[in-house]
Amino acid sequence: MIEFTVNGERRELVEASPSMPLLWVLRDHLKLTGTKFGCGMGLCGACTVHLDGVAVRSCQLPVAAVAGHHITTIEGLSPTEQHPLQLAWVAEDVPQCGYCQSGQIMSAAALLNTGAAVNDDSIRNAMSGNVCRCGTYGRINKAIKRAASAPKEA
Amino acid sequence: MTNLSRRLFLKQSATVTAGLAISFHLPSGIAATPGDFEPNAWVRVLPDGTVKLVVHKHDSGTGTQTALAACVAEELDVNPMTVQVITPENPFFEAYIHPVWKVFSTGGSTSVSLEYDRLRMAGATARVLLIAAAAKQWKVSPDSCTTEDGHVLHGASKRSLGYGELVTVAAHLPAPAKVTLKDPAQFKYIGKLRHKRDAAAKVCGRFKYSIDVLLPEMLVAVIQRSPVIGAKVLSVDSIAALQVPGVRKVIAIPGRPDVLGGNLEGVAVLADNYWAAHQGRAVLNVQWSESPLAGFDSDELAKAQIAALDDKTAQRITAMTAGDVSAQWPNAAKLLEADYRMPYKVQNPLEPICITAHIKGNGITYWGGVQVPSSALEAAETVCKIAKDKVTINELVSGGSFGARESKYWLFEVAYLAQQAKVPVKLMNSREDEMRALFMHPATLHRAKGALDAEGRLTALQLNAVSPASPEQWEPGYFERPDKMDYSTTEAITAWDFAYRAPHLDLAWVKHESNVPSGWYRSVSFIPNVFAVESFMDELAHGAGQDPLAFRLANMKDRPRHVAVLKSAAERAGWGQSLPEGTALGIATNQGYTSFIAIVARVSKQDGVTKVDKLTCVVDCGLAVSPGGVEEQIYGGLMWGFGHALFDRLDIKQGRVVQSNFHEYRVTRMSDMPATDILVLDGEPSKPGGVGELGSPSVAPAIANALFSLTGVRQRSTPLTLG
Repeated sequence: MIEFTVNGERRELVEASPSMPLLWVLRDHLKLTGTKFGCGMGLCGACTVHLDGVAVRSCQLPVAAVAGHHITTIEGLSPTEQHPLQLAWVAEDVPQCGYCQSGQIMSAAALLNTGAAVNDDSIRNAMSGNVCRCGTYGRINKAIKRAASAPKEA
Repeated sequence: MTNLSRRLFLKQSATVTAGLAISFHLPSGIAATPGDFEPNAWVRVLPDGTVKLVVHKHDSGTGTQTALAACVAEELDVNPMTVQVITPENPFFEAYIHPVWKVFSTGGSTSVSLEYDRLRMAGATARVLLIAAAAKQWKVSPDSCTTEDGHVLHGASKRSLGYGELVTVAAHLPAPAKVTLKDPAQFKYIGKLRHKRDAAAKVCGRFKYSIDVLLPEMLVAVIQRSPVIGAKVLSVDSIAALQVPGVRKVIAIPGRPDVLGGNLEGVAVLADNYWAAHQGRAVLNVQWSESPLAGFDSDELAKAQIAALDDKTAQRITAMTAGDVSAQWPNAAKLLEADYRMPYKVQNPLEPICITAHIKGNGITYWGGVQVPSSALEAAETVCKIAKDKVTINELVSGGSFGARESKYWLFEVAYLAQQAKVPVKLMNSREDEMRALFMHPATLHRAKGALDAEGRLTALQLNAVSPASPEQWEPGYFERPDKMDYSTTEAITAWDFAYRAPHLDLAWVKHESNVPSGWYRSVSFIPNVFAVESFMDELAHGAGQDPLAFRLANMKDRPRHVAVLKSAAERAGWGQSLPEGTALGIATNQGYTSFIAIVARVSKQDGVTKVDKLTCVVDCGLAVSPGGVEEQIYGGLMWGFGHALFDRLDIKQGRVVQSNFHEYRVTRMSDMPATDILVLDGEPSKPGGVGELGSPSVAPAIANALFSLTGVRQRSTPLTLG
């Protein structure tokens, strides 16, 4: 049995094999489908979640490795769906197909969590592991800057 | 998800034709939901005031749902951002047939440009009926009534009724004889939209894609397709696969070479979830036959393509002609000749192809992003002998298409698996499958030849575009058309899309089939054709000792919109002004989908590193229904073009696709993307042009031209080397 926390809720996993990537545990066992499958090799970032607040690629993380840790998915980023990044994403109308955006937002949230200065360089560094095929990079850049300058969520 | 009740639309005979208001009105009594007001295929008003607008086009992230809903909503006078927007209850209602292609399909950047007029008519017709219902109730003239945001108003008596309160009366009124559309000056939404409807759901993980479909008893299938293109299954050893926990079945899928665009052979592993299916496939042991393509090597393709140029038996179809080019070659002051090449490319939507199907009784239901409903019909009919009226589609927005979802092999595969498994089957591609799924953008070779006179004027231009036929798999019989033309292969080199005029012109398509399946890809043949034309125009300009912008303008006749975007882009990018040391500009342009674009690329070399600094882009797409949507489509197109210029390349060696995932097939990332400056001109307000595929084709030649200007080295095949 593997125990870990997902979005603040303690989960016990009995059925899944310890080598099953966290991505598929989240999607197929816990029915948290906001985290997406894009490449299965940690190359596109669609599956990005937070492990104790740090962005990780869940398709490359065996579920056994998260035992005892705190996982946050896009569904748990904000209880009200009003995280400054989510509001900024809507204000800038970022998503086209939207499929990569859960991962993009989780990577951006991890950047904001570090407290580092938000500028073109830090955004590029934090976000270049996340592929968007529609072409939303310009608006993502604007949205992160908007969120970084927004008042903190209540 | 519930199985939506079938509509009765197919049974009625009234056809829907743009411009004829009366034909929009369906006879009363056929509405599927008693009590609702359903005046046509796109408008539903419920007694409680709920307004539902039907969008019958697939949205793969291009914002068509918002833009098309806005066309109806504008004339109906409701807010397109707050009313409900639904996909068709029955996607096979004849009103939803593509007006040009005559099938149920989305593509070709046509959704807004071709549906604009009739969707406005649909909204306007419904509005006239609702006004008539209110006027009847109030016993006033309809002319004295107005509408505002879902209400009919009578100003003189200060009365107002919501649309929902009028549905019972409106549903029984005769169709209006004529309908007047709004003056564009009165538009509240068209031309003003800055947001799409679905952003909020897409930023919190709630939005459901094909991959998120979950049904009781559903099995997840992955397919082992032949590693060498075109091989057949000799034997399957499934013992190890079936021992993987969660794996339920292994099913061999017969190929359908009899179907144009049909699936090749494969072996499916069906399991309780994706991970189990994936693991099962990894230990599946399939023996494959020899394939006729086992010796195919994409590096060798150019030789065969060049041979086709000299092959008298090759089919050479003229796309545009004037005068007699061959008579000009001996008289030329200067002759230029050049070959351009582009490699195979793959679409790679970020959501790999995924589709769920379930056969129950004598019907089939699909769940997923089905871009071409006609292909779903064809699969059901061909594979399962299911009648057309027993096919249901629960249509979802897809995580990108770029042409990938215009293929049909996966619909055939899932129909077969659903029939065999007798439970709902969700077929999922992995990224590796997506890279190797075939139906990719074909590799091409173009040979250009041009003659300049002593004054540097272009007197003769010849272009031979060597390429397979792109739509052959989809349009049986197209080659028997009187003009023998494949319009999807000759984009940008026919009379209406080719920008330049010389006294002697000979532009042609040389049909050369490699037998590697090819498919649709965002911007299709504009990509190689524009790369060749715009690179060669640049070579001619330099050959003539002229400025590349001035040379282009001098060789355009009666093309004011084209000239305007070129001049505007050049001015914004600082064309002709002095540039910093180690910096250069390149320009290119194209027209398509009744829209125009010009792009200036700025490149620089500093400390030994060459890079693309900026893409400046000016667009005239006529009326931009959703200006925010147009801007993002162009940005996406620029990104795609940047990828064509520097990254996109799929290799085939000994019949096998070489690249497997994003570590081997590079796609554009945020760190790659240059700065952009996009200006959308206020175009002709009466009609929108297409934009989804407008942005990419000119990028690669603009960058190649800039690199030539910077380095003096002409690059004629992509991906380009920055050096």
